[in-house]
Parts: sequence; structure tokens; C-alpha cells
Amino acid sequence: MVDYLYDGTFEGLLTCIYHNYYGERASGIFPASGYQSHMLGGYKETQTDEKKADRVYDAVARRISEYDLGRIYKVFVSAVPEKENKILNYLRLGFKKGSCISLMHGDPVVFAVQSAEKKVNNEIHRLKGLVRFSAMGSGEYPVYYSSVEPDNDVIQFLASHFCDRFKNQAFIIHDKKRNKALIASGGSWYISSFFSRELPPFSEDEQKFRDLWKKYFDSIAIKERTNARCQKNFMPVRYWKHLTEMQPRTDLDDREDLPQGMF
Amino acid sequence: MDNIYEKLKILADSAKFDVSCSTSGVRRNNNGRIGNTQMAGCCHSWSADGRCISLLKVLFTNKCIYNCEYCLNKRTADTQRASFEPEELVQLVIEFYKRNYIEGLFLSSAVEVSPDHTSERILKALRLLRKDYGFAGYIHAKIIPGTSPELVHAIGLEADRLSVNAELPSRQSLSLLAPQKKPEHIFAPMKQITNTLIENRALVGPGTMFKGLDINREINYLDPADGRDIIPRPGQRRTSEFAPAGQTTQMIIGADDSSDRDIIKVSEKIYHTFKMKRVYYSAYIPVVSSPLLPDALTAPPLSREHRLYQADWLLRFYGFDSEEILPQGYPYLDTELDPKVSWALRNLHLFPVEINKASREELLRIPGVGTLSVLRIIRQRKISAVKYEDLKRIGVVLKRARHFITCSGKYYGERNFLPENIKKEILQTGGGTQMSMFGTQLIPSHLASELPISERKAGQING
Repeated sequence: MVDYLYDGTFEGLLTCIYHNYYGERASGIFPASGYQSHMLGGYKETQTDEKKADRVYDAVARRISEYDLGRIYKVFVSAVPEKENKILNYLRLGFKKGSCISLMHGDPVVFAVQSAEKKVNNEIHRLKGLVRFSAMGSGEYPVYYSSVEPDNDVIQFLASHFCDRFKNQAFIIHDKKRNKALIASGGSWYISSFFSRELPPFSEDEQKFRDLWKKYFDSIAIKERTNARCQKNFMPVRYWKHLTEMQPRTDLDDREDLPQGMF
Repeated sequence: MDNIYEKLKILADSAKFDVSCSTSGVRRNNNGRIGNTQMAGCCHSWSADGRCISLLKVLFTNKCIYNCEYCLNKRTADTQRASFEPEELVQLVIEFYKRNYIEGLFLSSAVEVSPDHTSERILKALRLLRKDYGFAGYIHAKIIPGTSPELVHAIGLEADRLSVNAELPSRQSLSLLAPQKKPEHIFAPMKQITNTLIENRALVGPGTMFKGLDINREINYLDPADGRDIIPRPGQRRTSEFAPAGQTTQMIIGADDSSDRDIIKVSEKIYHTFKMKRVYYSAYIPVVSSPLLPDALTAPPLSREHRLYQADWLLRFYGFDSEEILPQGYPYLDTELDPKVSWALRNLHLFPVEINKASREELLRIPGVGTLSVLRIIRQRKISAVKYEDLKRIGVVLKRARHFITCSGKYYGERNFLPENIKKEILQTGGGTQMSMFGTQLIPSHLASELPISERKAGQING
């Protein structure tokens, strides 16, 4: 039994799972950065190997299901602690049980994966609503820029939704926590590392529509029904920083989360 | 009134008592211009009252010829008046939409000049948005009672969802508080919408009430009653998309003396007759003082509204009927316990239910067991028995459910299987519903009608 350490990539994780079956059995899988060795048992740093990763990838799809492959990927992008071991346990059980593993709702191993996946799915759904774009640049075709700091690494899952919705709009969804962005135009997209340096200034109308939105937001609430707890329940405070309507003022240069002043 | 800021403030403030902000029930891809809609709907923000904001919800105008007693915009009220220009409203929708503030537009209006005059202006704005701007996002349009059938139809061709406000739960209250709104004028467009949906074979019905049944049949046509012909004639099928997300309505709770039983009976009738997607309940908030209405200091009946929503869910998703929820002699819902627990305590002879043997219908009736838990229990039973320890992970609320179930023959509740004991135990362990949730749309639309994507997908692959 040995702890496998990997480089933080999905392929790296799958490589460790390969070694678990074709080498020494894993006592756990951990990212190499930040690993603290135990008193007992050793650890091995693995070299990510695409061929080995591919074999595990295909085996999961074939012997468990495509759905479960997608499921463990969602868990992989999550921020839950020990996600690697949750995935390892799930796959160990999955290779025994096959595709019916996702029906075993009461099983602790399945439950751990199901709850992590749910967190990711919920955040994806939530962000589809909570992303706020600002028009930047002059002329007829501004770029719509948005900054977010999601708990989980999910911006890739927003691509198809927003690309279809804003087919004729160039937009950027910037994950400030991970310094990367979803960059899209004309319905196609890519993910790239990103720093807000090259963004043009806000477009002329931006201030006006922010003010109007804030005005609307404040007017639509029924003051006799004020319920801050309920509001926070649906829209946790950690998301407020990037929400136009939750700022005390909407001034463009007043918002430290927007790139104004950084270029 | 030229200032767009002031206009928006007045016309949003006037629309805030319209409850629905749902954007679910229709999926449409981008048509090459701007926008799409998703089946599950999407909330974009939550206002200070905890209600979700997904649509730009405004009145077209708040200039009104009617004098409904309870309304902020009644003719005789001393309030600021404003109207949008169609172009101005449409630009607002598009710019908000591009910034992902909203999912679309909810357009209602006060009655200026006449219902038809107002509806024509609404139609003009919607056509501008759909045709000139190519907007494919969500549109909810309010139909004003008394609008001619041709206009109702034309608006339905632009909108995803239509709603006609029932306003109050009884004819008497309506004639007292909103004398210019005749019940016939409210029911006529409701009937027309249902008939047109049947025509298009697009009527779905509320929740899972009619699941598996073909309700798009001639027998379900509603008699227009007022002698007017239904606009699309039989034989036309899906020539165009008419209100693909169906119709809804809303009632004010606590402005008149109707009991919960009266209200639930009315809702049930609306669901059975018009087969509309939802009835919304709106706790009355005294905005105007009137001898006909509750005192201006009356607190809005938020807990009552909350229990009514729970009862409504029992009607639409859990197979209950109104007589089970509130039988003769029970005019009001229990404030301490949710309506399903109340029903179960009155019907203890049906319990305990064995989790591993019960039918879907029986499982749905167990307090503390929701639709998602039922689905998971049934799925797991295909491969192995459900153990008591599994139930919590499955999502069952055991502090309520344990009194009403057995798991592989073993009972986990109180020794004395009596309603008083069980009620006491549930209240002591906090199994009553939390008060803090009052005044909210309890279950976001996308969670209420849809399972999480993961669940649906698993269901497809694994049966």
C-alpha cells in the first residue's frame, strides 16, 4: 500500500488509478503540492502518462458508464477535500458493480461522489444566473467581460450555455481565483490563462445600464416582506462581490474587482 | 415623464406584487440573433425579500381606468404615473439581457383607455422584441381580462407563458373588491388559452398531475360560454408556437375572508379545468386603506401563504386531492405542521409503510419523503434493499419520516403509535417547518419541476 502523488491534472489522477491496478495498491491519491507524508507507509510520485490515463478513461466509460466518467470528472473539478480518494473509492466499487453503481444512492462511497457532483452542478446552474457582464470597448461590438470566483473550477461548463445564448457577442468569463478565462466569440470558445491587463475601458453606456439595473433591483423588492436570511440562502454572500446589484454604488472606478485601473 | 430611471422605478414598483418569476417549461436555442431558453429555467438574482429575480418584471403603464380596491394603481390613488414607449422598453430588455442580468421579460400592465388598447401596446412591444431584435429569450405576458380573443392569440404567439390573474378566490370577493373585473372576463381568456394549447397538442398540465395521460383531447375543450368562438379552429396543429410554457394565474391571500379550504378547492378546480401549470398565492400587503380591506397595520399572512404553497405541491406532485388536505370541518391548514404530516396523522391507519415494498404512490405520501427521495428509493430497490441508514443519504427527512415507515420490517418511531405522541415528537425534534423560510418562493422553479441534471441523466442511462 502506497500513497500516490500526482501533478493536479485529470490525466495525472487517472495515471495513479492505473498504478493502483497494475502496480502497488493505493492507500490514497494526493496532489504532490502540499502533500504531508505520514509516519507509516510510503509515497510515490507518479509521472503523468497519457497512454495509461487513456486506458483508465476508456475502461471507466466501457465497464462502468459514460455517465460515471462525466461524474468523476465533475468531482475532479470540485473543491471538496480528498476528492481523489472519493473518486478512487467510487471507481473501485464501480469496476465491481458496473453501471448500476449510480443507483446505489444509500452507499457511503456513492453518496460522497454524488454530493460532490451536486455541489458542482449547483454552482454551474447558479453561475448561469449570477455571471454579470460589463460592456467594454467602443464601437458597435463591445466585448462583454465578467469576473467570477467560483468555489469549483467550473467555467468550462458554462461555455455551451453562454455561447448559444450570446452567439453574436464576444465575451470573457474570467475566473479570478484561478487566473484563467473562458473566451468566446461567434459561438466558439477556448479556455486560456488570463490576466485583465489587455481589456479595453468600459463602453459609454455601461454606467447607465448598471444604474438602471440597480434601480430595478431595489424597486422590485417588497419591503414588507424583507427577508435577508432567505436572500443569502439563495445567493450566498461570497458571490456578492461580483454582482452589480449588490454593490452600494455602481460607479465604474469604484469596484476593485473590475479591471479598471489595472491597465 | 421622460426620465427612464424614474419610469423604471415606478413601473417596477407597480409590478412587484405579480408573483411569478418562473422561466421554466420551454427550451429554445438561439435563432441566429440573441437569446435562448432552458427547460429548467434560471434565476439571476434574489431581491431583499428573498424572492428570485429572473425576468425584468414591469408594467407597461400604471395609468389605470379601473378602481380595484386593493391595488396600488387604482384610478383614484394619488400615485405617480408613467408609461414606457415600446422602443425604450425593448432596448432595456436587450441591454439587461446582454449583461446577463435577466432571463427575459415579464410584461403586465394597468388598463389604460381599454383592455384592447392596452393589449395592442403590449403586443407591439413584444413583436418589436421578437421580430426586430430577434430576441429568443423568455417572455411572460399578462393577459388583461376583457381583451379580445384575436389579441390574446396574437400575444400568445410571441410569449412563452401567459397568465390571467384570478385575483381573488371567490366571485363575491371579486365583485366587492374589483367590481370592474367580471369573472367571465377572467375565465374567457383562460379557456381560450387552454383550448389553443389542446389545439396545438401542447397542453402539459400542472406538475405530475396528468403524467402519462393524453389530455390533448377534444373532450377537454372548454366551452367558451360567452358565445365567442375559439380563435384557432380544430384541425390546425402546431402551425405555430403558442405559449409553449403554458399558462398560470395568481390569487391574493388574506384580502377577503376565504378560508384555506376555499382557496385549495379553487386551485384544484383551476388545475382540473384549465390544466394550467401553476396557481400562485400572494399574501395581501395593505398598500391602500379601505373599509373593505384588512386594517393597514395587518401583518401580511406569510405563514399562511407558505402552507398554501405546500398544499399546492401536494396537489400537483404528490397525488393528493383537496378533500384529503382539508376535509369538511378543517377550514385552515395547521400552522405548526406541514399539510402532509397533518394528513398522515389523521390517517394513521395507513401507516407505517414498508419502504422496500410500497408503491411509488404510497412512498410519495410518507411525510419527510420528497419526489427525489422516492425516485432514489425505487432505483436502489432494483439492485438491493434500502436500509434504514441509507435513507438519510437518499435525502429522506428522518425526523418526520421515521414515525411513518418500516425498513425491512423494523419500526424506528415512537412506542405508542398515536397521533398525539407522534405530533409531540415531531415538534420537539424540530420536524415542523422552519419559520425563517416564510415569505419565500419555497422551491425554486427549476428544482420543483425538474430533477437535477445528474439525476435525469442517470435515469436515462440506467432506466
